Amino acid sequence: MTDWQELDFFKDPGLVADPYPYLAAARERCPVWREPHHGVVMVTGYDEATEVFHDAATFSSCISVTGPFPGFPVPIEGDDVSELIERYRDTLPFSDQLPALDPPVHTDHRALLMRLITPKRLKENEASMWRLADSLLDSFLAGDASAAGGPAADGPAADGRPATGEFISGFATPFTLLVIADLLGLPEEDQQDLVAAMRAGQRSGGGVGDTSQRAMAHNPLEGLYQRFADYIDDRRREPRDDVLSGLAGATFPDGSLPEVADVVRIAANLFSAGQETTVRLLGSALKVLAEDPGMQRRLREDRNRIPGFIEETLRAESPVKGDFRLSRVPVTVGGVDLPAGTYVMVLNGAANRDPRIFEDPDRFDETRPNARHHIAFGRGIHTCPGAPLARAEARIAIERLLDRTSDIAISEREHGPAGARRYRYIRTFILRGLTQLHLELR
Amino acid sequence: MRVTVDDDRCRGHGVCCSLCPEVFALTDDGYSQVLLLEVPARLHETVRKALVSCPEHAIYEEARP
Repeated sequence: MTDWQELDFFKDPGLVADPYPYLAAARERCPVWREPHHGVVMVTGYDEATEVFHDAATFSSCISVTGPFPGFPVPIEGDDVSELIERYRDTLPFSDQLPALDPPVHTDHRALLMRLITPKRLKENEASMWRLADSLLDSFLAGDASAAGGPAADGPAADGRPATGEFISGFATPFTLLVIADLLGLPEEDQQDLVAAMRAGQRSGGGVGDTSQRAMAHNPLEGLYQRFADYIDDRRREPRDDVLSGLAGATFPDGSLPEVADVVRIAANLFSAGQETTVRLLGSALKVLAEDPGMQRRLREDRNRIPGFIEETLRAESPVKGDFRLSRVPVTVGGVDLPAGTYVMVLNGAANRDPRIFEDPDRFDETRPNARHHIAFGRGIHTCPGAPLARAEARIAIERLLDRTSDIAISEREHGPAGARRYRYIRTFILRGLTQLHLELR
Repeated sequence: MRVTVDDDRCRGHGVCCSLCPEVFALTDDGYSQVLLLEVPARLHETVRKALVSCPEHAIYEEARP
């Protein structure tokens, strides 16, 4: 049976719904395997993936979110392509974004971001998360679409019928958006505008790794970045005792003050990398809970199981399927020789199901002892800076959902009966998650 | 072997705590904390792995006096 190799991982819509059999077949063939359609080397093994992530000297991130698809301006030839990368870096899409930077620029800009999301700041942010979750749930559980920013959910009827609602747009999207807005200290009045802008963006579609090739779509948050820039300007002139003033005054490690545009870009990175991914995490988590009443009951009875459940969700349904690297020089990974200029895709979602590390990897087990060894957040210098934020968001959302309901179930009207469910997943080769999740809540 | 975590660098990713929970744990404040003054020999390799895996390079092996 070799026909799985006929499938194009990057274009085949069939692999969007369930990429895992393909990724397992690729790993079995070789954990470092060059797929035949685009020549991308797929790294699907755990040890091999961490090896690439830890070797930022050999592997450039300049094409981390786009891979070979926008094309490189010139043929990538030679035994050391570092100079080519530097010469053409600025022409590549997303090249000014943190995930696409390499040291030494990456080191400085990441340090700036890490000054903004310290554990102390995250703790303060967490206090708002409880409030935000509750206020969104007030609307979501009551079917008040306007306040949640979501489509009409029907509230619980007097006759005891459950509340029904679409979880992604009714809760997950506004929640993750408002959490980041709060983290950045955006004033209350801007937060509702943000939700509106995001909703407009959802309708227009597009985004990184979009398999429908509408990638590089216009960014709906553009207008808000201008406003954010104005706030930074304002706080630099007249600092106040607020989060925005802290951001405005944050310096690079050498003490120099960044351009306002650099600070805005960091904020933009938080939204672009941290919002959508967390929405997918929440969607996957709620799907598992709603599909498995036994697990839902165990979590309701023992809330200490929630962190393990979240780690297992990250492992089994990694919101980022993977991202790309470009080898600067010839290198050997997992015994496979790769020439300079090789496009490598490190598949976190495949590494997290490597049977050499995770026993019976396709089984979801919220008590799996080594679930936390997953690399859903990557490893090395590009490790997701928002991992603690995402974990807190997921924990608080699940806690409050369980507190305020007695049962969460899949809407059969929308997704079909058990055993014959219909789910739609986001059509990108980068992200993994549901586009919609219709729930019935009691 | 003795290790320390630099609070100015730690950002609470928890990679060390995942790799070696016997030695590292996250405090309520979200920072990683070293649980053992002296790391036993059987954990040296794991701790070194945690050390190189720290995204912020916040973990140091203390020099022997």
